[in-house]
Amino acid sequence: MTIEKKGWVALAALALAGCGLAGEGEPSEAQRGDGTDTIELAEFPDRPYWGDTHLHTDISVDAFGFGVRLGAEDALKFARGDKVTATTGMEAQLDRPLDFLVISDHSDAMGATRRLYDAPRMLVRDPTLRRWYDMMHESPEQSTRAVAELITAAANDEIPEALRDPARQAAATRELWDTHLAMLDRYNRPGEFTAFAGFEWTLMPDGNNLHRVVMFRDGSVKTGQVVPFPGLDTTPEQLWDYMEAYEANTGGRVLAIPHNSNLSNGMMFDLVGPDGGAMGADYARRRARYEPVVEATQIKGDSETHPFLSPNDEFAAFGVAGWELGNLPLTRKSTPEMYAGSYVRSALLRGLTLEQQMGVNPYAFGLIGSTDSHTALATGDEDNFFGKHTGNEPREDRAMAGQNLGTRVGRFGWHYLAGGYAAAWARGNTRAEIFDAFMRREVYATTGPRMVLRLFAGFDFAEDDWDGDWVRAGYTRGVPMGGDLEDTGRAPVFLISALKDPDGANLDRVQVIKGWVDANGQAQERVYDVAWSDMDGERRRVGGKVPAVGDTVIRREASYENSIGAAELRATWRDPDYRPGQRAFYYVRAIEIPTPSWVLFDARRFGFDLPSEVVEANVIQERAYSSPVWLRPRRGPGDAPRIMDQG
Amino acid sequence: MIRTLVRDPLAHFLLAGAAIWGALALIGDPVDPASRMIELSRERQAGIALGFERMMGRPPTDAEMDAAIARWVREEVLYREALRLGIDQGDAVVRRRLATKMDELAGAEAEVVRPSDAVLERWLADNAENYAAGGAVSFAQAFFPNEKAAREALGAMQPEGTPISLPKSVEAMELTEIEAVFGREFASGLASLSTGEAWQGPVRSGFGWHLVRLDRRTAGRVSDLESIRDRLEADWRSATIAERRKRAYEVLRAAYSVEVE
Repeated sequence: MTIEKKGWVALAALALAGCGLAGEGEPSEAQRGDGTDTIELAEFPDRPYWGDTHLHTDISVDAFGFGVRLGAEDALKFARGDKVTATTGMEAQLDRPLDFLVISDHSDAMGATRRLYDAPRMLVRDPTLRRWYDMMHESPEQSTRAVAELITAAANDEIPEALRDPARQAAATRELWDTHLAMLDRYNRPGEFTAFAGFEWTLMPDGNNLHRVVMFRDGSVKTGQVVPFPGLDTTPEQLWDYMEAYEANTGGRVLAIPHNSNLSNGMMFDLVGPDGGAMGADYARRRARYEPVVEATQIKGDSETHPFLSPNDEFAAFGVAGWELGNLPLTRKSTPEMYAGSYVRSALLRGLTLEQQMGVNPYAFGLIGSTDSHTALATGDEDNFFGKHTGNEPREDRAMAGQNLGTRVGRFGWHYLAGGYAAAWARGNTRAEIFDAFMRREVYATTGPRMVLRLFAGFDFAEDDWDGDWVRAGYTRGVPMGGDLEDTGRAPVFLISALKDPDGANLDRVQVIKGWVDANGQAQERVYDVAWSDMDGERRRVGGKVPAVGDTVIRREASYENSIGAAELRATWRDPDYRPGQRAFYYVRAIEIPTPSWVLFDARRFGFDLPSEVVEANVIQERAYSSPVWLRPRRGPGDAPRIMDQG
Repeated sequence: MIRTLVRDPLAHFLLAGAAIWGALALIGDPVDPASRMIELSRERQAGIALGFERMMGRPPTDAEMDAAIARWVREEVLYREALRLGIDQGDAVVRRRLATKMDELAGAEAEVVRPSDAVLERWLADNAENYAAGGAVSFAQAFFPNEKAAREALGAMQPEGTPISLPKSVEAMELTEIEAVFGREFASGLASLSTGEAWQGPVRSGFGWHLVRLDRRTAGRVSDLESIRDRLEADWRSATIAERRKRAYEVLRAAYSVEVE
């Protein structure tokens, strides 16, 4: 057969495959729009929509190295509730589908490990790359080790030139990005399932985690006009430049979500500007504008607060162990004075102080949870944990094994949390509605369970509001979570409701966490128990303290009984320590009764014994964190408009 | 005439062929490895500038543009020399890249084409079970923290439950939505109830116990084309891309005999 003839066979084959087609058409709604006017919307946000904004697939440089072979399509199918086969061969399915998903593959070296893996060995000239290449091909364990080296190299600014050549990377990224965006548009279904475009921007100076997930509101007609922005060798201001240019050039919208501040060694929420000098108002304004939400909890630990920062908070240690030791690759240890810049509550406090000094609050953000799973599987449930990455998908030794990151210094598999989810109060499930809920911070974080958390703040709420349509009252006479209240000289009153996960554990208590700047300019925090189960019966306060709820967890069986706790907790709460003119924030923490973590489920499933201290550390009280409401001094006539007013 | 063309396989063949040539033309100018003339057309320059702009969010400066062009020229020179030396032969990366391109070509048309109503109607008919709504239910419910209290209230005309932040009544709520709001236990408990004006139950949920008045069940029915057009199109596209790759491969594969020693 001549070459020409062969060519015709190939062409005919492709043509045959193309039968039944008319011409090219107009872009679909998913490509062109954001879901506006596609579905009927509720008058007020009527239920939380559940999602994961932080998921990696096989084009993430580390995820592929860790072994994942599932791509975006599997990730989307899994998130919307389909059964898929995980990389390691097990069938995987969510108990309940998610409503939305942001696939956030690393922009740096997107697809590079997949390309490296596929390359012929003789062409891999760089000695480091060649070693990684050999390790990736040798065994899953070696492959995982290779990625750990890669992350450390990124942290130390020692990534081989071949992986960071921007021209080469740009061309490869373009192609991956276009294919990816087309896939997202196909899976995006207004009213049923929302697929957002996004990527992770992975800046890591000295290994200190300054990562952000970038999330777009739009379809591929707009998102296809850019490619993901590289993290290495760039700065947050450059990322905001990129975002600003995207919005100006396409008319689209984009936001960024900082995460794993707990691994930033104090750098994520710094008090000073990026050059080490005083933070400028312009920097603060842009940060608040482009980063309205922070991911407060995920597999690599919980960033709400640390016992060192919140010594009077008996629930402060959740998801802290192991992660508090240092930055991500553990190239730099953490010291306590770093914590204030690493945890969310202290960042909210710093925000108040900075606002007092310069009139702008850079850290007025809402809170969400997500997974950061590198398996393409957005699992958040304790009894269905597919691991941080493919190297620790379910298998017997994963709980007690050292981790790829910081193996020998005290971080173990069992320090991983099962992952969190993001809840968005929206009027319907579309890109526009959910994205806008993020922008106005009407979102909250959970450590996995799907409790329904409502928070309204105003000045005239009263107990009898519960008898009527209190949600309407909340929206019409107050502001929901994420909102701003202007000081009126009266104490703010809050309507708070926490409803248990319909298929999960009962609730122990609901707390309000207040942060404020006192008359001496000192930042203060206080935790108030505002409602708890059986509060008028057996669990009356003793010495000002609410007794523990109890514990029904049967360790060996990884089971518990819902015989303690409450199905719903409500409070009408007036701030008893209000002072006129005070700058403050208030957020709600809802805490479940004790339940077994994934580690106990693993022990039961594989039939092994755990050291007793590990068992006890894995009887946990899962929780939800609302976004705060801010109480702000009344504005004078000459004051500059607030950030939120400029949105 | 149009209608005939739409059905005519030869028309399909020609259209598809034209589309493929179009796609090939987009991939790049055909390069004659023997030529040592590199022309940088205005289009190409615009493409390079656009590539930069997409990454950086701003147009390149003159210096950056010069550097980008120099990089492009360098790559082109090396590319042609590589072809001249036959380096593309026997290279696993090139081999896989080309194979991937073939796969993408087979599916490429389906990425952008707008399927006709007839195509979608056929798709809907063939996959009707995927588009039947799961059924919707209209009901009122009263909540009780324990079974005893629920049973005691069962005789009342209008049972007074305990306050809880769940809808007291819902209109035509899809089963998947009921599972999300009331939990799976409650959703499956609804199945055994019959419609009517009487309060029934109690039905157990993750919250406690509920008396339920089941007003209406709307059976799952196959949606019509217009109401789910975008969804049909997306599903058709995913399936068609996969199917085309498979068919294209099968035709090509048929021309080969493979012996595995």
